[in-house]
Amino acid sequence: MNELTIAMPKGRIFEEAYQLFVEAGFDLPQEISDSRKLIVEAPGERIQFILAKPMDVPVYVEHGVADIGIAGKDVLLEQLRDVHELLDLHISNCYIATAGLPNTTMNEIAPRVATKYPTIATNFYKEKGEQVEIIELNGSIELAPMIGLADRIVDIVSTGQTLKENGLVEYEKIVDISSRLIVNPVSYRVKSERIREFVAQLKKELIKR
Amino acid sequence: MGKIQMFEKPLGMRDSFPEVNEQKEYIRSTARNFIRNKGYDFIKTPSVEYFETIGKASAIDESSLFKLVDNQGETLVLRPDMTTPIARIAASKLLKEKNPLRLAYYANVFRAQQREGGRPAEFEQLGLELIGDFSAYGDSEIIHTAVELVKTLGVERFRITIGHAGLLTAFLTNNTNTVEQVDTLRQLLVEKNFVGFEQKLDDLGLLEEQKENLTKLIDYTIDFKTFENFRPFLTDEQQYLIDQVEQLKRLLKLQLSDPSIVSFDFSLASHMSYYTGMLFEIYAAGSGFPIGNGGRYDELFQQFGEQVGAIGFGIRVDRLLEVLRQDIVKEKRTLLLFTEGAYLEANKLAEERRNNAERVTLQYVEGVHDLDAYKQNFDEVLIVSEGGSLHE
Repeated sequence: MNELTIAMPKGRIFEEAYQLFVEAGFDLPQEISDSRKLIVEAPGERIQFILAKPMDVPVYVEHGVADIGIAGKDVLLEQLRDVHELLDLHISNCYIATAGLPNTTMNEIAPRVATKYPTIATNFYKEKGEQVEIIELNGSIELAPMIGLADRIVDIVSTGQTLKENGLVEYEKIVDISSRLIVNPVSYRVKSERIREFVAQLKKELIKR
Repeated sequence: MGKIQMFEKPLGMRDSFPEVNEQKEYIRSTARNFIRNKGYDFIKTPSVEYFETIGKASAIDESSLFKLVDNQGETLVLRPDMTTPIARIAASKLLKEKNPLRLAYYANVFRAQQREGGRPAEFEQLGLELIGDFSAYGDSEIIHTAVELVKTLGVERFRITIGHAGLLTAFLTNNTNTVEQVDTLRQLLVEKNFVGFEQKLDDLGLLEEQKENLTKLIDYTIDFKTFENFRPFLTDEQQYLIDQVEQLKRLLKLQLSDPSIVSFDFSLASHMSYYTGMLFEIYAAGSGFPIGNGGRYDELFQQFGEQVGAIGFGIRVDRLLEVLRQDIVKEKRTLLLFTEGAYLEANKLAEERRNNAERVTLQYVEGVHDLDAYKQNFDEVLIVSEGGSLHE
C-alpha cells in the first residue's frame, strides 16, 4: 500500500475534517490536535498529515509534496491552482459577498473595493461590467468602508455577525464556500487505486450525513 | 513593472546551462535513434507562422500565443505547438508522396504564461505523428511507442491513462441539450473539478434522468470497472465507440510487456480541443504535471482540406528532465595544464587522448586566475612541463 501525504489546514477546519475522517472509519491516532508538530503520522492507514496554513494547502498539493489536501473553495478560487477538486466535504460552510455601509452606492469617479481576495473580487466586478480599483488587505477588511478607504468590501460571511457589529450590510452574494478535497493530478494517476479507495470511503460517509 | 535588471529574461524564458543542455542533448539523441528505428522521419518547421492559419487551427488558446507583426502588416505567431504545422506540411505536400505518413520532431514551442511567470513559456517538445491511419492498430502503435520511448529515456515509475474524446462527447451530448452545456461540463472534467461538475448539473436546468446519468459518470470514474457500463447510455449508432476502445484495450494487452501501467479513465478530457478519438496522458513520479500527452485528432486535417486519420503524442522535455536522474549523462572531464615551453607536447598529448574519445581541456597554467577553484570542475588534472614530463 502506498503512503499517502495529506495537507491539512491548521485550526478549526482541521478538527472538523479530522472528525470526518474518523467517522468515515479511518484508523487514525486519537490525540493529535493539541500537539505543535507540523507532521503527524497515522501508521494504521499509512497516512502522513502535514499541517499547513490554509492558504498554503493548494500550493503543497499542486507541487505534489502532498498527494491530497483540504482547502476552502475561497482559496481555490483565489489561487486557481492546478489541482483536482474531487469532493465537497460540506464542512465550514460560508459564502463570499460584497458589503458596505448601509444605503450607500459606489463612488462614481473612483470606485474602490477592499478585499483579501483580489482575484475573486476582480473577476466578480469584471463580469458585472464595472471597472473598480481593488485594494488588497490582509485582515480586518471591515475597517475599510468605516474609515473611508473603500466603498465596498469583498469578504467571507459565515454568520454575518462581524458585519453587523461593525455597522455594515451585505449587498451581493458572490459564491458559496465550503471545504473541498483536492488531489494532485499526478498522484491521482500514479497512486490511483489508493486515492480512489480513499475518496470512495469518504464519499460514503458524506452521503450518510 | 520596475526597471529591468541586467540578469532578467522575458517572463517564462529560461537559460539552459551546460549540464542541463547536455541532458537535453542526451534525450534528443536517444529519442531520435529510437524513433527513427520505428520508421518515423524527423522534420523541422519554421519558428514563426501566420496567425490566420496555424494560430487559429492550433488548439492552444489565443491568449497564450506570442504574436508579432511582419513588415507587410500580417500577424504572425511563434509556433505554439508542432502538431498543427506538421498537419499543414502533410496536407499540402508530404501526404501526396507517402500515405500513411510517419513524422517526428524535436522542437521548441512557445506559450505565453498568464500566471506565475516562472513557468516556462518556451520549452522543447519531442513527439511524433502517424497520419493517414484510421485503425485501432494506429492508436495502439502510438501508445506502445510512447511507453517504450519513456522507458528508453530512463523514466522508471510512470503511468498512462487513456480516455476517448468521441465517447465522452457522445455521452455528454446525449445527456444535455446544447453544445454550450457540453463544453461547460467538459471543461470541468478537464480540470477534474468533480465538485463543480455536480453543482453545475443543478444550474443547467437538465432533466432528472440526464442529471442522474451525468452523476453516474463521476461515480464510474472514481470506481472504474469497464467501458461496457456505458453501453446503455449510448445510441445504437454510437455503440461502435465502445467497440473501438475495447479493441484498443485488447491490442495493448497483447503489445505491452507490463499492461498494468495502463489505466482507462472515461472522464479523461484534454484542454487540447482537437482530439476526436482516443487520448492519453503520461504521468511520472517526480513531476507535478503530465510529462506527455497525445491522441487521435482526425478533425484537425479537415481544416487543411484533407480527410485522413491522424494520431500522435508529444513529450515535454522540461518535465522529463525533472523526473530523470541528474546523472544520466556520464563523462570524464580531463584538464591538461601546460607550463611555459610545453605547448607542443601538451597539444600532442591532448590529441592522443581525444582520439580515444576522452574530453580534454587544454589550458595554459599561468592564464588561470584561481587554479584550485578551476580544478574543481574536472575529474582528472594533469600538468605538462617543459620536455614533456607529466605529473599531477
